[in-house]
Amino acid sequence: MRKLSRNRRGITPVLSSLLMTVIAVAGMSIAVTATYVITDELHDNMGERLIVEDVWFTSAGQVSLYLRNVGKVSIKVAAVYLNRTDQSFTSLELEQDKHGWLTVTYGWSADSAYEIKVVTRRGTNVVDYYMSPS
Amino acid sequence: MLWTITCRRLKRDRRGISNIIVIALSLVIILAIVSNIVLWNYEMNQVDWEKMRENVIITNVERVTGSQFTFENDGGLTVHLVSLWIINSTDHQNYDISVFVNSAETKNYLREDISLPTGNYTVKVVTERGNTAVYSGS
Repeated sequence: MRKLSRNRRGITPVLSSLLMTVIAVAGMSIAVTATYVITDELHDNMGERLIVEDVWFTSAGQVSLYLRNVGKVSIKVAAVYLNRTDQSFTSLELEQDKHGWLTVTYGWSADSAYEIKVVTRRGTNVVDYYMSPS
Repeated sequence: MLWTITCRRLKRDRRGISNIIVIALSLVIILAIVSNIVLWNYEMNQVDWEKMRENVIITNVERVTGSQFTFENDGGLTVHLVSLWIINSTDHQNYDISVFVNSAETKNYLREDISLPTGNYTVKVVTERGNTAVYSGS
């Protein structure tokens, strides 16, 4: 036992091997995590699908949009543009296969065409033209 | 004899092994990323392709005890209708439905709880894949 505690030869290679193993494991963990994050983001971006089922120009100076999530991931609406102008709207988050109303406050005019664009948090957008009632 | 010597030399000479391990691990990571993206892209293309092949029409809407809707599937795939809209100048009414119409099939769908509005109206159905069919009546 005394001989072992006095004899310190060979400890440096053991320590260096141990340190290298720790560095290698840490490096691989970072690489695997980065892979997972990058793949997951791309996965979600490609899986987004959204449709505007109905547009209702209500009399109270509002435009209501009925949205349906037909994609493979949940979506959150980040912006709504009416005639290329950013509008304030009620927050809407839809899980897969879910649907719901999104209300935009906008003083619309009768018998006019409006370009309505809905943009999600991941950047998917749906744009179309709708006529307001006369 | 020569083969045995080469094998022995390879066993003793370990220089360059770490490089090979690094390349192998990098290849595994790259392969994992690429295969995952390619497979997911293939699946989403399939979804878009199926959506393009859908073609459903509302051929008739009748006032009976309630309302009867006739759907015709002109596409090559079975469609699943999930939403029905009755729209007029004052109201946009939405009903959740679940109707399957096979390819080349015409199906009547009776709803006793839906009464059609007086005057001009529009009936709209939405499929699970995101296509719509519209019918205008009065």
